[in-house]
Amino acid sequence: MDVRAQMSMVFHLDKCIGCHTCSIACKNIWTDRKGTDYMWWNNVETKPGTGYPTAWEDQDKYRGGWECEDGELRLRSTSKTKTVFNIFHHPHQPSMDDYYEPWTYDYQHLFNAPEGPDQPTAVPISMVTGDLIQIKAGPNWDDDMGGSPVYAENDPNLAQLNPDQRAQMFAVERLMFFYLPRICNHCLNPACVAACPSGALHKRGEDGIVLVDQNRCRGWRACIPACPYKKMYYNWNTGKSEKCILCYPRLETGQAPACFHSCVGRIRYLGVVLYDADRIREVAGLPQDELIEAQRSLILDPRDPAVAAAARRNGVHDSVVDSACNSPTYRFVKEWKIALPLHAEHRTLPMLFYVPPMAPVMAQKTGTTVENISEDLFHDIDEARAPIEYMAAMFGAGNSGKVRYALRKQKAVRWYRRALTVGDVDMATADRMLREADCSAAEAEAIYKLTSLCTFEERFVIPPMHREEAIEMLADPMSHKQGVGFGFIEGPRRGL
Amino acid sequence: MTIKRLLHPIGPALPILMIIAAGPPAIQAQDAADFFRSNCTSCHTIGGGRLTGPDLKNVTQRKDRAWLIQFMQSPQAMIDRGDAYALQIKQESRDVIMPVISGMSPARAETLLTLIDAESKLEKSQFAGLQISDRPFTEQDVQQGMAIFMGHRKLANGGPPCVECHTVAGAGGFGGGRLGPDLSKAYERLQGRKSMGAWLYSPATPTMNLTFKNTALKANEEILPLLALFESTAQKGVEDDRAGTSAFFATGFLAAVACLGLFAVIWKARFRAVRDPLVETSARKVLGGR
Repeated sequence: MDVRAQMSMVFHLDKCIGCHTCSIACKNIWTDRKGTDYMWWNNVETKPGTGYPTAWEDQDKYRGGWECEDGELRLRSTSKTKTVFNIFHHPHQPSMDDYYEPWTYDYQHLFNAPEGPDQPTAVPISMVTGDLIQIKAGPNWDDDMGGSPVYAENDPNLAQLNPDQRAQMFAVERLMFFYLPRICNHCLNPACVAACPSGALHKRGEDGIVLVDQNRCRGWRACIPACPYKKMYYNWNTGKSEKCILCYPRLETGQAPACFHSCVGRIRYLGVVLYDADRIREVAGLPQDELIEAQRSLILDPRDPAVAAAARRNGVHDSVVDSACNSPTYRFVKEWKIALPLHAEHRTLPMLFYVPPMAPVMAQKTGTTVENISEDLFHDIDEARAPIEYMAAMFGAGNSGKVRYALRKQKAVRWYRRALTVGDVDMATADRMLREADCSAAEAEAIYKLTSLCTFEERFVIPPMHREEAIEMLADPMSHKQGVGFGFIEGPRRGL
Repeated sequence: MTIKRLLHPIGPALPILMIIAAGPPAIQAQDAADFFRSNCTSCHTIGGGRLTGPDLKNVTQRKDRAWLIQFMQSPQAMIDRGDAYALQIKQESRDVIMPVISGMSPARAETLLTLIDAESKLEKSQFAGLQISDRPFTEQDVQQGMAIFMGHRKLANGGPPCVECHTVAGAGGFGGGRLGPDLSKAYERLQGRKSMGAWLYSPATPTMNLTFKNTALKANEEILPLLALFESTAQKGVEDDRAGTSAFFATGFLAAVACLGLFAVIWKARFRAVRDPLVETSARKVLGGR
């Protein structure tokens, strides 16, 4: 057992209001430099929709992630031979058109436009060429299903639905959508790291954060097609790849990452989990319908003395194990099993988990009023507007059972709380639903608390990073003893 | 005093050092002979009759050493100055002016003149010139020459075939190399059989000299057929036309286009774009035939 620590995340999609505050918080800190204008380490997508870059989930086009043939795990995008032939250009990268041409506005035009019959406007200008441009796409072009006949209808996750289900999803009165915030998944089996020919991409040993060494990166761009989530970005100014760093400088000082900290809906949870690195290869090569359960089994119980002892042997500090005991992600993913990885079928073992959203009930229009089909406020899962197959394509690796389990448990918790606080449903029904959903009253209470009443400290359980110990592996901390103090910038000099 | 102090550490060794620097007389003579062979023999003989330049046998009796040394160092300057004998040499050499030889210091010129004196006294100098048969060229010689020129027959001493850098009339479809000059009329330029033979034996240009320094051509087996070839091309009087060049570029261009076409077919289904085709297809669907 090779026990290691991993920073792990949970996004509760039922709470996301799609305000994009996270994206802006991230951009303001990390990607407002030249060459990073199109990078959105954090973005929020509308589902159904094609997301950013356009149709990133379509691996027939972008060839991201791993494929498994006869237990043999291979990158879809590259191999040792292909690396040689594609060394100067990887053919399956998104082009600027699949992201968007970054632009700004010529505000001066508002002041010096010649007199005319209309108000002058600030015309859009390309940040790449400086010329006037016709904006064709943006980072959030299909937000709230904008342009849905183009974008939402081409959502790759709709492929598994039959034509009736598809038509129903886009029928005017039945339309539904939800938001999907995305950052780097900091995977356990990252395809980007495997594809990097320079060895610049690495997974930090102490917390599993996947980083690009900016000095080692040679800009081969193998990581960009390799990542199935398209969360690797190429900085055209520095010629290096960049990605979400999970705000590790903030984590090291005990702060939550910017996108987590700023989240208005408080949908984000962060905590450390312990996992068994020995079993990664085995789990990543399992058949697709076993992936979710197997990935869950990689995560170990930090309260198990054997796990804690193995962690200690591996150099994981006791305070990190203690932190793992309080990790909210451990509870969502492992105890309650209501948080699921996004597109686990790419076998990267993502460490960002999503609580799937409860879609509104199917409605029907009679005359001028819209009526719900179901009488129940918290209706049957299979009658939701979003077909369970659609959710399963995203969160279940095609396995609808896992998604149904998560949704039923959430539904049961709602019924239980409804019975407690409002009292218009009877407790016996609520109890029966809890039993059916494999949930105890105590668990329902805990889920309710961590979902609705969670404090900052409960959402973000950041382990001490022990940088003072980590640095000892690389440098001797005593080397500057008696050498520094005053005079980093300008030393004091003798005399007046 | 200062100089003495400076010299002090090597003082006792000074005479020995000077001898080493000057070199023993025998080595000097050998050095002069090598210099003569690689720099002079393409135009001059000693007792072998004139080539491009005059026969140097007993040259020191024809003109005094001071004049000769001056001429050897800067022939052009002597002619420009209007020196009568220099002008006469120029005329005899059909206006070919002796080039400035690098490394021709007064000391070097002196040793060369000593060498020429010594060689002139011999009945048969080692620099009497290349001994090539005087027999008339046959058609077979011309064919042999072409085989050598084109590299079909390897040069005995391992030199590169002419066609690598040169072309000649009749060198085939694409012509020969374009790095060096067209040799179709070289026979005329280098003034015939004897002179060109000497030139081929010891080429006078820096590039050719370096290339063939250690891989000299064989007189009767290689130089003779090549001379036959150059004589026949010069007689025909046609330079290798530029059709070869055009054909070469045309073929290259067509091959490149064919390759690009092939790539386009092989990678027809290559990844081009995602968003644009998506928008186009949807627009077609929405707008129908419009």
